Amino acid sequence: MATAAKVPDKGRIIMDKAQARPLAGVVGFFDGPAPLIEAVKKVRAANYESFDAYTPYPIHGLEKVQGLKRSPLPFVTLGAGLTGFMSAVMLQYGTSVISWPINVGGKPLWSWPAFVPIMFELTVLFAGLATVGAMFLINGFPNTKKRSFDPNVTRDRFAVMIDAPKLKTAEELEDMEAAEIARYEKKLAAFKKFEEQEALQFLKGLGAVEVKSVEERGWFE
Amino acid sequence: MGHDAHTIKNPGSLKPNPGLRTLFIVLAVIGLVATVAGISVDAKRGWSSLLLNHFYFMGLAIGGLFIAAIQFLTGAMWSAPIRRISESFTAYLPVVLLGFIAVGLGAHQIYEWTHPEVVKGDLILEHKAGYLNLTFFWIRNIIAIIVWIFFGVSMVGSSVAQDKDGAYSHTAKNKVRAPLFLALFALTFTMVSFDLLMSLDPHWFSTMFGVYCFAGSFYASLALTTVITVLLKRAGYLDGIVNDNHLHDLGKFMFAFTVFWAYIAFCQFMLIWYANLPEETMYFMHRMEGKWMYVTTFLLIGKFLVPFFGLLTRGAKRSEKRLLVVGCWMLFAQWIDLIWLIQPEFHKEGAVIGWIEVAPLLAFGGVFAFLVHRFLSNNTVVAIRDPKLEESVFHHHQ
Repeated sequence: MATAAKVPDKGRIIMDKAQARPLAGVVGFFDGPAPLIEAVKKVRAANYESFDAYTPYPIHGLEKVQGLKRSPLPFVTLGAGLTGFMSAVMLQYGTSVISWPINVGGKPLWSWPAFVPIMFELTVLFAGLATVGAMFLINGFPNTKKRSFDPNVTRDRFAVMIDAPKLKTAEELEDMEAAEIARYEKKLAAFKKFEEQEALQFLKGLGAVEVKSVEERGWFE
Repeated sequence: MGHDAHTIKNPGSLKPNPGLRTLFIVLAVIGLVATVAGISVDAKRGWSSLLLNHFYFMGLAIGGLFIAAIQFLTGAMWSAPIRRISESFTAYLPVVLLGFIAVGLGAHQIYEWTHPEVVKGDLILEHKAGYLNLTFFWIRNIIAIIVWIFFGVSMVGSSVAQDKDGAYSHTAKNKVRAPLFLALFALTFTMVSFDLLMSLDPHWFSTMFGVYCFAGSFYASLALTTVITVLLKRAGYLDGIVNDNHLHDLGKFMFAFTVFWAYIAFCQFMLIWYANLPEETMYFMHRMEGKWMYVTTFLLIGKFLVPFFGLLTRGAKRSEKRLLVVGCWMLFAQWIDLIWLIQPEFHKEGAVIGWIEVAPLLAFGGVFAFLVHRFLSNNTVVAIRDPKLEESVFHHHQ
């Protein structure tokens, strides 16, 4: 239960190793998009290290309230598209002009209009595949270490989850350099300290119709 | 979230601006006089410039109705605040009929198939004479324009009537008219493009020509809709109605149809280039030789690459200034495209742009601006009781 136990001598925040399954976070369920957006505003203002909102359909403006940054995905698309374009140019120049120069209908070897469809198609192919691949990489799917805390958030429930911070065990802390420990503690100190009961009460206070703690559990556990 | 106390402030109509009205009338009159002078100085050049500018503003007007019709057809929500602006272009549709009659009067100067001595002995033209003859030319084009005017008056009329009574039946009627209009539009616009522009070279043919002309006209109509939206927004008419998300949608639309135009233009070119049949390649030979190659290159860069990269990023599509600059540029590029379509048949050495070309631009442009301004002065600048308006302003676009 207790996630944030204190090491007696130094007063550091560590993970309680006795706990079988560490806490993933606490979840509050809300009545619909409007109460959810209001709650997300306050959760963000509370300055927890990490939280996320779960909705059955996209809600415009939610990403702004959550403070999500823009995805780097368009740059992947642009870069891959240009790569595809150049690949098509080089492939066709190499085959039609350098390696196998064949006179077709008296046209020049580098008859670029005939090659434009390939340039277009490879641009689209590279850009499309890279975008899908990069999207999975960026959003971390598939992540078998995490499972849905409630399948109904894809159907009719609106939820906010405040994630428990990843804490180090006492052994891990002992193995770390002093500078590393200082960085770790500085990072923890920059955010509101996560206490399970307090966070549950906090979500309830925001008007959640139901709150619960969620344990870490993978797909196959 | 209809339970929230959302209210949309009715922006009303454009405030009367007699100075602007007078300016448009003066421009139109000066243009008209100069057009007549141009025709008397150089008949071929004068009539072909008249055709060029008639087609330009015809495309803007019918493109505006096309934009409105696809919003009704798809039941679009995003466009509810800007639909009235594209509808305003249809105020010019009756002038399209006059413009066509003017072009028809000069048909002998610009269409060689109207000369019996040219047709006689020319196997291809004799074969086409059943279609390419002046009587049928007049009949079919006037019918096409009357169909456009009919749908313009009835669809925009219903849309405007809804401002007063707010009845859903207006939207319901337009949902029936829109698909009818779009089907007829595809046929009639192709026919008008064939007749007015493709028959300038009566030996040449391209089945894609109608789509090419449509792509350019729609491209320009979208640009003009965006430009006027930004101008009205800057003048404060669209406060609390049109926000960055609507501009973003318009920007995406412009971007998409920049690509669409390039796609169609290249498809038409590549098929003819590849097949290499003499009667087809002549068209592009005229346009890729000598100084005409500069204009062809301008179309590739100016009509495609500049708007493409100018509107590529998200920030650009949400920026009023960028949309305004790129929109005006696209309107210019479409005009050059019509130069490229028309002038090589008359000036083999290169494009000619002088006062004779600009005169009908002022004449038709002055009338177009006057009528659109009058439409927006007599009607609210937003379809204020459109059933989708509130959703578009508050719900979808936070």
